[in-house]
Amino acid sequence: MDEGNKKWFSLGLGINRKHSKASACQKTSGCCQSSKDENPNESSLKKDGFDQVFELPMDRRSAFKKLTASLLIGAGAASTSCSFFAGDETKEKAQIEWEEQFKGNYKLMSDEEKQKTVDRLVRSYQLRTGKTINLSSKNAEEDVLFGYAFNISKCKGYMDCVNACVEENNQDRNSQMQYIRIHEMKDGKGFNFSEADDNYYHEVPAEGHFYMGTQCFHCDNPPCVDVCPVEATWREDDGIVVVDYDWCVGCRYCMAACPYDGRRFNWSKPIVPEEDINKNQHYLGNRVRKKGVMEKCTFCVQRSRVGKNPACVEACPTGARIFGNLLDPNSTIRWVLENKKVFRLKEDLGTEPKFWYFMD
Amino acid sequence: MKTRNDITLIAVLFFSMVLCSCKNHTEEYHSVTDRIAVESKNYHGISISSNKYHENKEMNEITIGEQTFLIPERKSQIKSYACTECHSKPLHEMNNEANTKKAHWDIALNHADENTMNCITCHNPKNMDALVSLTKKSVDFNASYKICAQCHTKQAKDWEGGAHGKQIGGWAPPRASLTCVNCHNPHDPHFESKWPAIFNTQKIKERK
Repeated sequence: MDEGNKKWFSLGLGINRKHSKASACQKTSGCCQSSKDENPNESSLKKDGFDQVFELPMDRRSAFKKLTASLLIGAGAASTSCSFFAGDETKEKAQIEWEEQFKGNYKLMSDEEKQKTVDRLVRSYQLRTGKTINLSSKNAEEDVLFGYAFNISKCKGYMDCVNACVEENNQDRNSQMQYIRIHEMKDGKGFNFSEADDNYYHEVPAEGHFYMGTQCFHCDNPPCVDVCPVEATWREDDGIVVVDYDWCVGCRYCMAACPYDGRRFNWSKPIVPEEDINKNQHYLGNRVRKKGVMEKCTFCVQRSRVGKNPACVEACPTGARIFGNLLDPNSTIRWVLENKKVFRLKEDLGTEPKFWYFMD
Repeated sequence: MKTRNDITLIAVLFFSMVLCSCKNHTEEYHSVTDRIAVESKNYHGISISSNKYHENKEMNEITIGEQTFLIPERKSQIKSYACTECHSKPLHEMNNEANTKKAHWDIALNHADENTMNCITCHNPKNMDALVSLTKKSVDFNASYKICAQCHTKQAKDWEGGAHGKQIGGWAPPRASLTCVNCHNPHDPHFESKWPAIFNTQKIKERK
């Protein structure tokens, strides 16, 4: 099998490797479809779903394992879909479940395949709850690289951002998962995280303290992406580091690799009351997650890709949060980077976060 | 001859190994700032716009320095504008009138001290429908930021560039920002402390 042709992930230990040509799909960013222009003849790149699963060269043992797992699911689906008593909706549900089970990694999907899985998820939600969601699969815009700036002189610790984030991104209300942490720090002690309090409850701003927020910094050289064994997380072309919740196996390597505590894990099934669910969703963003997968801030991909500010930026009453396109020389984020004294957290690690701090 | 071939072969192998061992990520840039510098050279604008997010608000376009952006229209937001509806005469004439009604009792000026500011530092006593600069030039209410910028030069500079204040609508062009008086009450610019919007009780349990 030609390395350049493969669309799924393998350990790449060099066994049977005939060509030293780099696989287009091992890049950390973007989706592999963009590499198609380079070799338009390779139609086999378009493999997804069944092909990705079944045409994988494997030894007997793993083949048997996969077959057993799939048979169990298949048997369930088949028994429902062929059942004389099951209604049309049940059959449709089984069909969707079957197709969702064997779909490929979102990163490797063509636009058409992305649309198909999004349609399936919308239909599946409709069948389960009778309600319609707006689920998008909008790709990264050209000439856009998202960046964020945070003014530590302006933040007063009101936590309106945290509130807005939870509501926008359908985070688990049971475990009170929050992407953003606001750290209350003593004046004169610098960034001392071990002494900072990120869960205060008193009137703010407290005297003698300053506030700073952390969340996923969407590193340009993200260590979380490097460690993922299944390539379920990657950096998109507009710089957002995303997770395919359906491809994540929940090993939490990324959580351990992140030096900024930017990632969150669903230890239990996330619960959001139906009336509180934000129905404006993106596949890579705030769609409802399941138990055992990683999630994190996505710069509100469902909002930012249509030109809006992330929910935290919009909610902040102090204007401490600035968001924009790093490639646009006239954007406010560029003005901040060029005119204020900016710095980043743990810059020496070489992770290249796209999240800058500054002071008035 | 044979040894020389071997050496060449080994050298070629070594170099190809070095080349292959390099990560094939986007290693073209040393840092993200380099990447921004290179990639923004060919920036031609983007297809999305944030126009539709503030089209239901009345906005005015302003230009200060090199920046051109939208700010919310102000006059229609002032409760008792136009001021001339009551203030039909210049201020000094009204003062002398017998049985004058006490107006604006709810406004207490709590902004700098009396040596620095009183009403007519900002309000134009000759034209009640306008503001006035320190050099007695009339300034429109829609350009009230010019009044603030006379003293708060540093904040005004930051606001102009986008580091102070709040961008509304979205990040995509055209830029729309709130103006000074949308957040700061010019008569009483101080902000009171308040309680945080959210408290995480689960975190308390987990960290016990």
